[in-house]
Amino acid sequence: MKPLLPARIALPLLLLALGGLTFVSLAVGDVRLGPGQIVDGLLGRDEFAATILWQIRLPRLCVALLVGSALAASGLVMQAYFRNSLASPDLLGVSSGGAAGAVIAIGAGWAATSFMLVPVTAVGGALCATGAVIVLARQGAGTERLLLAGIALNALLGAVTSYVLSQATLTYERNAQILFWLLGGLEDRTWEHVIMATPILLGAALLWPLGRPMDLLSLGWREAQSLGVDVVHLRRRLLSLATLMTALATAVAGTVGFVGLVVPHILRLLVGPEHRRLVPLALVGGATFVLACDLAGRAAGGLRLGIVTALVGGPFFLWLLRRQT
Amino acid sequence: MSALELREVCVPGRLAPVTLALGPGQMAGLVGPNGSGKSTLLQAACGLLPHTGEVRWLGQPLARLPVNERGRMTAWVPQEAHFEFGFSVRAVVAQGRYAHGDDGRGVEEALARFDLTSLADRPVNHLSGGERHRVLLARALATGAAIHLWDEPLAALDPRHALEVLMLGRTLTKAGSTLIFSLHDLRVAYCLDVVVVLHAGRLRAVGPPEEVLTPDLLLEVFGVQARHEPGLALFLP
Repeated sequence: MKPLLPARIALPLLLLALGGLTFVSLAVGDVRLGPGQIVDGLLGRDEFAATILWQIRLPRLCVALLVGSALAASGLVMQAYFRNSLASPDLLGVSSGGAAGAVIAIGAGWAATSFMLVPVTAVGGALCATGAVIVLARQGAGTERLLLAGIALNALLGAVTSYVLSQATLTYERNAQILFWLLGGLEDRTWEHVIMATPILLGAALLWPLGRPMDLLSLGWREAQSLGVDVVHLRRRLLSLATLMTALATAVAGTVGFVGLVVPHILRLLVGPEHRRLVPLALVGGATFVLACDLAGRAAGGLRLGIVTALVGGPFFLWLLRRQT
Repeated sequence: MSALELREVCVPGRLAPVTLALGPGQMAGLVGPNGSGKSTLLQAACGLLPHTGEVRWLGQPLARLPVNERGRMTAWVPQEAHFEFGFSVRAVVAQGRYAHGDDGRGVEEALARFDLTSLADRPVNHLSGGERHRVLLARALATGAAIHLWDEPLAALDPRHALEVLMLGRTLTKAGSTLIFSLHDLRVAYCLDVVVVLHAGRLRAVGPPEEVLTPDLLLEVFGVQARHEPGLALFLP
């Protein structure tokens, strides 16, 4: 299929959409703010608007943008890495690994000692899940094998989460925190969460120049190596970045599914499969998609982000499966 | 100096030690029954499989060559042509210039050489098996490499394109490149400078086809009765 959009106008269009959604995200809520109030609030001239923006809406917006970029870019990386367009961090169990790590940290009470322990354990959990996927994919990364491995890993990691939840010693507050991770959402996000997720920006910067070698890797590692790609180094770098970004996104927003599947697919339909174009587009497109889903959830009376992305992504995934067969 | 040299190259469990040298301008055919180790030998010679022994390209040990330099020196064509994503034919052929900084040189010529110009903007995963193989061969041509290693390049092609691939191989070797490719059609092997025969993971014979492909060897390796006929290099009754 021919790309629907020239690549050079796709990025400006996405940025325009992102800008528009950013404005809406800052403007709407329990208290509606006009453009003038937003400017005054951001500059600190209107104390009421400043409180709403700086304490509530901006942290939520920043977390949404970072989470969207991270999950979409991770999905893109995993699809190229496993040469499978159905691979994504949530379907392969990497997100569940991150969530299990975060849940253990909360359940054990480590989160109360330092907020940075949550992302650290989330990265640890995601790394374990990624390691398991690599071992399972070593025998072949066909769609069925990867998806079955994902189902098994999601079930296993879900059992870990359920075990922590079932501990009678847990306080109500910890249980509520754990439930937040299971549902995935952006409510009550603070600047601490933004700081936690900031390394995603570094991951994005490191991923940016890897688009071209990703094209070659998506043909198979032998072909890529024969054409002059340092495959060992590239694969290690890609998987580390995808795991880290997924884990950080999961640590600050819980399990948000399907972003890594839906966004790269839509972008491939729009501009074609070349990763040099797709990497920046996925970073911007992921942020746009998550922000749009968050706004849709807010408009629907407070639906959690994870529920909205699942409502969009679930049917999309089924459509993809049908299309593949 | 040999262009491609294998010194006691061994892939444990798949290929017994092989020592082999091909000079610049030589066109070699790798023959043997299914599972005899042809793809394994090509991949080991290309540095794509862990192996013991030493591989040298243009006199330089492969182990000491940077990956990017390897991409400039050799072109490997795999047996399978699987594309998950719909890159355009032109984009796939242009990947042959990756190690040259994506300079795009020779891409249009390579497309034209394989009758792919009219398909250049088509997604490669929408092509037939034979067309996809031609895309991979065009990419190999675009690399401008001195050493070519092709795994069954003729298997999926119709007679005209198979003949054109052989003629291209001859053009490349006349210009000084070295080509080794695996094949099953022994009649084609008679057009080549050197034939390498593998049997059960072992190197059985190397040399000019008329010396190597004797009826006795064909009976031993392939289990077929053959005799030479006047006017026909080889006759398989």
